[in-house]
Order: sequence, then structure tokens, then C-alpha cells
Amino acid sequence: MKKLIWKSIDNKRKNAILSVILAMVSQWTLALDYPEAGNFSNGSRVWAENCARCHNMRSPTDLRDDQWVTTVFHMRVRAGLTGQETRDILTFLQGSNAKIEKTKHEIDNPIAVSKPASVSGKNVYENSCVACHGVNGKGSFQGVPDFTDRDGRLTKKDSELLSNIINGFQTKGSLMPMPPRGGNSQLSDADLSATLKYIKASFAK
Amino acid sequence: MKIKKLAKNIMFAVVASSFSAMVLAEATVEELAERLERMQREMNELRLQLENSATKEEIQVIKEDVATASEWLQPDTLIHMAGYADVGYTDSESSDGSFNVGTFSPIFHFQYRDLVMLESELEIEVGDDGETETSLEYLTIDWFINDYMVLVAGKFLSPIGQFRQNLHPSWINKLPSAPPGFGHDGAAPVSDVGFQFRGGFPMGNIRTNYAVYVSNGPELKAEFEDDEYELDGVEAEGFGADRDGEKVVGGRFGIIPFAGFEFGLSAASGKATVTEVEDGDSSLLSGEAARDYDVIGADFSWDFQAFNLRGEYVETEVGADTGSGAAASEGATWETWYTQGAYHLGQTKWELVARYTDFDSPHNSQDQQQWAIGANYLFTNNFIGKISYEFNDGQSGSDADLDRFLFQLAYGF
Repeated sequence: MKKLIWKSIDNKRKNAILSVILAMVSQWTLALDYPEAGNFSNGSRVWAENCARCHNMRSPTDLRDDQWVTTVFHMRVRAGLTGQETRDILTFLQGSNAKIEKTKHEIDNPIAVSKPASVSGKNVYENSCVACHGVNGKGSFQGVPDFTDRDGRLTKKDSELLSNIINGFQTKGSLMPMPPRGGNSQLSDADLSATLKYIKASFAK
Repeated sequence: MKIKKLAKNIMFAVVASSFSAMVLAEATVEELAERLERMQREMNELRLQLENSATKEEIQVIKEDVATASEWLQPDTLIHMAGYADVGYTDSESSDGSFNVGTFSPIFHFQYRDLVMLESELEIEVGDDGETETSLEYLTIDWFINDYMVLVAGKFLSPIGQFRQNLHPSWINKLPSAPPGFGHDGAAPVSDVGFQFRGGFPMGNIRTNYAVYVSNGPELKAEFEDDEYELDGVEAEGFGADRDGEKVVGGRFGIIPFAGFEFGLSAASGKATVTEVEDGDSSLLSGEAARDYDVIGADFSWDFQAFNLRGEYVETEVGADTGSGAAASEGATWETWYTQGAYHLGQTKWELVARYTDFDSPHNSQDQQQWAIGANYLFTNNFIGKISYEFNDGQSGSDADLDRFLFQLAYGF
């Protein structure tokens, strides 16, 4: 097969073919080039789907915003990401790398939410949570808890779970932290409360 | 008389008590004044300290500045150092066990906005003789042309297959060793010097990625045995000059039909020339003809929950030199493939790994079949302790036939 492909083409022809392909690809891609801002939800999905193909997932809290810029651009080259995917992942990581610092007040006073949610819990889960927690709630990669486990995470009190979602959480010894508000600072306490209700209704056994 | 004496005594007592009261009163005032002075001094010092101290608001501003600071004053330019290192212990059948320093590989990133990035990785190793060896693993200037294409120019890791370009760093490789044939002087090219276009683009719901390059290509090494020359190996480690003037063209196309699964095809073709004689006098070489050089490869990777399965195949073929060159000889083929499975045990930090590799070269002493099994403990996702045992099967008496126990600590930063 190899001989059929390569030996029948001399070096000058190979170079010519390469040049034509490059010219075609360049024009095609230049025509499609339209820089857009990063999208958080898409970034979390692309991050969860791509990084583990080669290496263990790094926590968003491992690096500062500026360090994530160079790291993600490095990974763009390595993993063959598009520019838009790069911006999406960067938006997700920079939105999720706040340090988890729970005050004693937050621990002693679990969250009580009374305002109505602006979006449905299902919508929030599908856009901001599903990348890590998975469509089936079992967790997309190591370090993410299995919501369907009878004795698992969802056996905790709602107030504690909501506090963990809002303020961020990392089980001692766990490889991955839960970023505050799932990394999406736009979500209100009420939105996250609705999300918790959706999670418990969908996955708790 | 008595009255006079009594009056004198009384007067003396009154004067004495008045004097002592006055003296005592004067001492208290002085002490108070001294205390007051001391307090004034302390207050001045405190005021001075307060003037030199930052308020909570000022500290908050500084914290925010630090959190968002770049190393360089110009915020459009970023500099960042990443990399990895590993240390370990190896014990093979034929020799006593030795502690060893694997590699220290700092990677430098310099980036100007989203336009260009300079990437460079050094590889620093301590040899068996204690000498430190330093080499440039890669050095590229990456020009982000548009959303779908990056020009990678310089010395780059070979895009043939996955292991060399993405999996070889010790904190990523799930076993302490590279699969036979994927290391230096193996069947798979290591690096090259030239220009490369890389990127990715979607095709509906399918994602793709590609790499196309033109480079100086490899050089060949011959050996003189039984009164004749034969090919010994392909040195595909990024030569800074193209001594035979023949370029190599190659690349890889990867397709991701669904999340967690990737399949890739690779190929390279060009010419390569013998430039060195193993354990011989390379100056005797003359009139060597450029030989055909062809590489093909295929790779896949599949992630399913806690299970990862991957495999890779690479074949390098070098044609014959039937001309009048001093080292003219038959062609040769190097071929290797491996399959590796890894399973992360539940919510623990333990991971089990098994890999089978079959490396076939023109020299029986290099041929090797290897089973490697291992257990990894993930202290963190980037700090990993690995224990493995390799069951090696090669030519009897050769290094390729020696079983090995390996322990490694790898840290990616």
C-alpha cells in the first residue's frame, strides 16, 4: 500500500501537492476566521472532552489567569484545538480558578435561598455542570463524585450541598475541586438551588 | 526646759515629715512625667508605624494586583515556565539496582497576545558516568495564523503518531519507560527541523486535527560487520542542517468521531543519507546516495469512564543504495506497535496499567517483545508514583531480553 502511495510520486510532485493542499487549506480557513469571545459552557465541555485524551485532568485552580493563557495556547498547538475552542476553554478555566476559601460564618450559616431562579435547574446543569458531572451524573472523569451512589454525595443535607456549590468545595484528598458556582459567577444562589433540586430529582436513589 | 526640748522635737518631726512628704510628692510627679514622656514616644512610634502600614483596602488592592499581574510590565506579553521531571530506581536481571535521575525538562513559553508563542523544552539528564547532558528537545515559534491554522517553525517533536508529540513526558506516560521502538533510535521519528502547519477544524459534529510538515529529515547510521556495510539505524532527532539537501514531507490527520475517541493516520516521505558509521571511521564515507525514506503510522485512543485504551503502530522503511557509495547496502525496515490499557480504581488514587509492545528491527539483538505491568499512585493529578515490571523477550544474552523492575516519581509543573 505504502509503495503504491509514495513510490509512484516523485519528490517534486510531493512538494507540489503539499503546496496546493496548504494553499487550499489556508484560503478556506482564512475565510472562516471570525474571532469571538469565549463561551463558558462550551469551554467546560471541550475541556472535559479533550484534555483527558492524553493526560490526567489538571484542576482549574492549579494556575493563575495569565498562566492559563500560555498553557491553553500551548495545548492548542499540541491537541489541534481551534482558536474558538481555545478561547472557550480559557474562559472556563479563568472563571473557575478562584480559590475556595470558606469562612467560619459560611460554614456555620448554611445558605437559605428565597428568591426565584432566573433559569431552570435543568438548563444550568446541562450548560455548566454536565461537562464534569456527566449526562448520567456519574462523573465524567476521576475525582468527580458519582451522584447515583446510594451512600454518596447526595446523602448530605441540602443546605450543606448548596453551600458547597456556591462557595466551592474539595473533599480532602480528592484530585479535583468543585469551583465556586461551578465556575460560572453569573449564576445566582437561586439558580444554583434550582440546579441542586434538579440534580437530586434526576440522580438521587 | 522640758517644754523647750519637747517643742524642739515636735518642730523637728513636723519639718522632717513635711520635707519627706514634699520629697515623696516630687518623686511621683517626676515618675508620672517620665511615664508620660515614654507614652508620648511610644505613641509617636506607633503613629509612624501606622503611617507606613497599609490599610485593609490597600491590601485588597495589592492582592488583586498580584492576582492579575503579569511577569512583564507590558501586559500583552506573557512568560511562563512549565515542564516535568522524574527520578527513580531501576533493577534489571543482569545488574544491581540503581537509583537514577531520569530527566529535568523545563518548558519555556513566551507569548505575545494571541499572535505568537515561543516554546522551548530543554532535556537535562544525568548520565551513568555522572556527567550532566543537556539537549534541546524542541524550540519553535508558533504563529497563530487564524482559528484553524498555526505555523510551527523550528525544531519540533515529530507529529508522526501520538507518543512522541503528546505522551512522552513522564507525568503523562503511564509507565516509567517508553514503549520499545518509540524512544531514541527507534522506529518512530523523535523530532525534526523545518516548518509545520497544525490545527483543527470541525466537520459537523466530528472534530478533526491535522499536522503537515516539511523538514530536513533524518540521517542514517551504518555499521561495518562481516566485511560489509549494513544499515544500523535511523537518526530522526532533528538535525540543524540538511547535509544531503533532501527534504522530508509528512504529517498526521486525526479524527474524533465522538468524545473520548480519536483515530489518527500518519505518514512521511523523502530521502535520507548515511552520514555516520557506528563504532567506525565516518570519514571513510564517500559518494553515499540519498535513499528512499518512508514512514507510515496509525494510532487510536479511547476513554470510557475510568478506563483508557490506546495503541499505536509505526513503520520506517529505508531503501537500498545500489550506487558506488562506501556504505552502499540493502535497505531495512523498522516496525513497532503497542497497545496499552489503564484503569483508575473507583474513587481511589490508584491506577493499574498494562502495555504490550512488539518492536521489530533489522537487527535481531534489537528485536523485543515486552509486557509491562504497573500500578500508579496519583498523589495529585500531576505528581505520580509508578511501580512497574517489564517482561522482556529478545535475543538471548542481549539487553532486550532482560526483565526489569522500575520505580519512578514523576512531577509535571
